[in-house]
Amino acid sequence: VRCQLSPPHRALQGSAVLRRVSDEQKEPLASSQQQFDSHPTTHQPEQEPQGPRPSYTGQGGQESEDYESEEQLQHRILTAALEFVPEHGWTAEAIAEGAKTLGLSAAAAGMFHSDGSELILHFVSQCNTKLSELLEQEQKLVQLGEAEKKPTDQFLRDAVQARLRMLIPYIEKWPQALSILLLPHNIPSSLNLLTSMIDDIWHYAGDQSTDFNWYTRRAVLTGIYNTTELVMMQDSSPDFEDTWRFLENRVADAMNMGNTANQVQSTGEAVVQGLMGAAVTVSNAEPSRAVR
Amino acid sequence: VYQVFESVAKKYDVMNDSMTLGIHRVWKDILVHKMNPSPGTLLLDVAGGTGDIAFRFINYVRSVRERQLQRKLRHHQNLSWQEIAESYQEDKSKSLGDSQVVVCDINKEMLKVGKQKAQYLGYSEGLSWVLGNAEELPFDDDKFDVYTIAFGIRNVTRIDLALQEAYRVLKPGGRFLCLEFSQVSNSLLSRLYDLYSFQVIPVLGEVIAGDWKSYQYLVESIRRFPPQEEFKAMIEDAGFFKVDYQNLNSGIVAIHSGFKL
Repeated sequence: VRCQLSPPHRALQGSAVLRRVSDEQKEPLASSQQQFDSHPTTHQPEQEPQGPRPSYTGQGGQESEDYESEEQLQHRILTAALEFVPEHGWTAEAIAEGAKTLGLSAAAAGMFHSDGSELILHFVSQCNTKLSELLEQEQKLVQLGEAEKKPTDQFLRDAVQARLRMLIPYIEKWPQALSILLLPHNIPSSLNLLTSMIDDIWHYAGDQSTDFNWYTRRAVLTGIYNTTELVMMQDSSPDFEDTWRFLENRVADAMNMGNTANQVQSTGEAVVQGLMGAAVTVSNAEPSRAVR
Repeated sequence: VYQVFESVAKKYDVMNDSMTLGIHRVWKDILVHKMNPSPGTLLLDVAGGTGDIAFRFINYVRSVRERQLQRKLRHHQNLSWQEIAESYQEDKSKSLGDSQVVVCDINKEMLKVGKQKAQYLGYSEGLSWVLGNAEELPFDDDKFDVYTIAFGIRNVTRIDLALQEAYRVLKPGGRFLCLEFSQVSNSLLSRLYDLYSFQVIPVLGEVIAGDWKSYQYLVESIRRFPPQEEFKAMIEDAGFFKVDYQNLNSGIVAIHSGFKL
């Protein structure tokens, strides 16, 4: 909880690596700076330690300098580490290599958990963001009248395919990633990322429902996504044709289910089956190396 | 401080084992595991006199390197005999993968004991022994990947200077690790611990090393050392980021870690 105004020498020295945030980011920091200046000596235990580092204004009216926060640096390291994943897997080694490309010592990988969890979660979150942007752009095109609005099944198929294609460069090591995501300490985060991605897709698909159907649609699409992902792990057809055909069939099934009471039950069963299948497949697909 | 360690040097390891009932080995193992060094890491072990951390570091890096080589070999299914033999040769010569550890201590006797131990145990490559003061290290800036100080920092007169020196000699991205006695949080354990410290340890000191006073000093210096949070703040003041600590044995010992970012 580093809330006290640091002595002036720190502002001058700055940090060795955290680089200055570009000017665009100065705006949102202005408000936190106000709060800061009015409490020069008291500690603020409530303040988010993970937020962007506030500017340091020294006593002598020195230049206030904004530096990126540790979190942002961590994101940079993880992004750099991704290119080493095909070779080293989702491990601390990949993170160490990533840190080295940024000019940091490999010891910086010690900032992260040694099983590579953060790297995977970072990647998943990045993919989800890319997917959102893609869907956003498509929606804009439709609104501008430059593209046709797709029927729901087509939309879902395309969205899931686009998202799964992002895995292709890392497909060999993806089973390893899936098993790590299933570890108890990662489940809250990975589940969170999964549900928000599914929500996103339904949002752009034009889902207006606020009733019970909201849950069933989420569950159905989650089931489709997870099972398709697993099929993809074992697919050796050219450009994953088999996977996309599987996806097409599942989406068609889902559309045909309709709003019957059966839907709820079979959805529940499908989801449970999907999860069980996930656990079994993942444990079989990866020659298990001890997960450290 | 110098004289305490002069007399203590030869019996240092024996005393450590008897005082901590051998747990200090586990603590040091945990420290190196936490470090998780990769081959090619340059380690500076300060106040590391008899080389405990250094030897563990070398063992760890060696086994990581072996695993790496095994993995490489498994990918070499299609090479000719010639190529495989060549890769064996070049890898054999780098069993440590360029990792190095520099052991720095203020006390010549401790270093001497360390060198003898290294010879006895068969550690030769990747080790250097340097005489130096933690408050004023004889090294250039931005040199080391990891800086460790195990059970040494409480003996430093100006801890803030030692921390600043640590910051200086570390590369950007480098890690500071400190293993040290700290404050026990559990009150029952705390009472037992006090009892043990003040009654048993000086007696052991007299019996095994023939030196009551040094071990009395030891116990008192442990009590005087700042608690976990305060030490964490001191490390942050030196400029380290992501500073954190891990209590071992509910606070008898703590590992503080910080990064030069």
